[in-house]
Amino acid sequence: MAASVRHLLKPWTPSLCLVRWSRYNPYYLDPDPSKDACVPESEISPEQKELQELKTVRPIKAALSSDTSSSFNDPLISKFINMMMQDGNKILARGIMTQTLESIKRKQVEKYHKSPAAKKEEIECNPYTIFHLGLENCKPIIGLASVQKGGKSYQVPVPLTDNRRRFLAMKWMITECRDNKHRRTHMYEKLSQELLAAFANEGNVVKRKHDLHKMAEANRAYAHYRWW
Amino acid sequence: MTSGRECFPTENGDLHEDVKRHYRKTMSGFVIQDKVAKLLSRQNGKPVLRPIKPLALKNEVASRRMKKGEATCVTEMSLLMACWKLNDFNNAVCSKEVSAFYTCVEKAQSKAKGKQGTQGRLLPKEANTLLKRFPNLSSEV
Repeated sequence: MAASVRHLLKPWTPSLCLVRWSRYNPYYLDPDPSKDACVPESEISPEQKELQELKTVRPIKAALSSDTSSSFNDPLISKFINMMMQDGNKILARGIMTQTLESIKRKQVEKYHKSPAAKKEEIECNPYTIFHLGLENCKPIIGLASVQKGGKSYQVPVPLTDNRRRFLAMKWMITECRDNKHRRTHMYEKLSQELLAAFANEGNVVKRKHDLHKMAEANRAYAHYRWW
Repeated sequence: MTSGRECFPTENGDLHEDVKRHYRKTMSGFVIQDKVAKLLSRQNGKPVLRPIKPLALKNEVASRRMKKGEATCVTEMSLLMACWKLNDFNNAVCSKEVSAFYTCVEKAQSKAKGKQGTQGRLLPKEANTLLKRFPNLSSEV
């Protein structure tokens, strides 16, 4: 009965054309602003071909005004800027981000010129790679979830999704840079210091990640309280 | 009435005509309404049923989880934690266990997503969607 009745639950088709909203029907696909070079037909895998055909048929969400098709558009950095933004002041947040990247570059170039020739190749000068790798080092692997069992709530070690891990890393970075600084240091200065420390697996944010891992390790006996 | 042999389907996969007629009579709405009226009536002593809510089906199914789940990837997690304890939570040294844990988590997630409604039964969510679109009309307005 279920098999015959299930065909009534067809995918939803839009009767009205939506114009840039944040809550879309899950039937809508995400836009891809990158300028894809024309890949010849023979090199596309069958899954990619299917995806391309799906894109021609399904409705697509409107692109945000912060997405550009330029090569400098980095989704991770855009997400970080959005998280840093307060009261909708995107200009300030983006300015802080550019200043951070500039100060990282300056510090690294200074270090590069001062170091002996043998060690010059080990120094990473690209601020974008430092940002990406530093954030990777801040991402926790296991998180804790509160589970109620027998009237008492326990902290149970739980695997996290990629989005959750990325969010936690960024959140810790931002809160650390806002709270633990001298009142006269600028945000971009403190951010650049923390990012360089995270790149070298030191600093307060990486310490916080290790603390979470230690708590999860201490509570490993409760791992079976999970049901998902 | 017909003999028991006619209750089985014929070569066409269809039931015998007399059996069909019998089913139509017993399963029709009027027969059921008469029986319910008899159970509620006070003419033959006390009524058998004293319902609080109206005796009608709702246009909704109770949403409950069918099976009790269990914790996934516990072995991978315990291996990872053992490695951490030995190497003082250094992720670079434990990279093998970390990648094994990630693959296990991905597999578990894809399994959980794919396995939900494939066992010949409609999910409560799907049943509710259908009932909302094609409800049991309780009044004519």
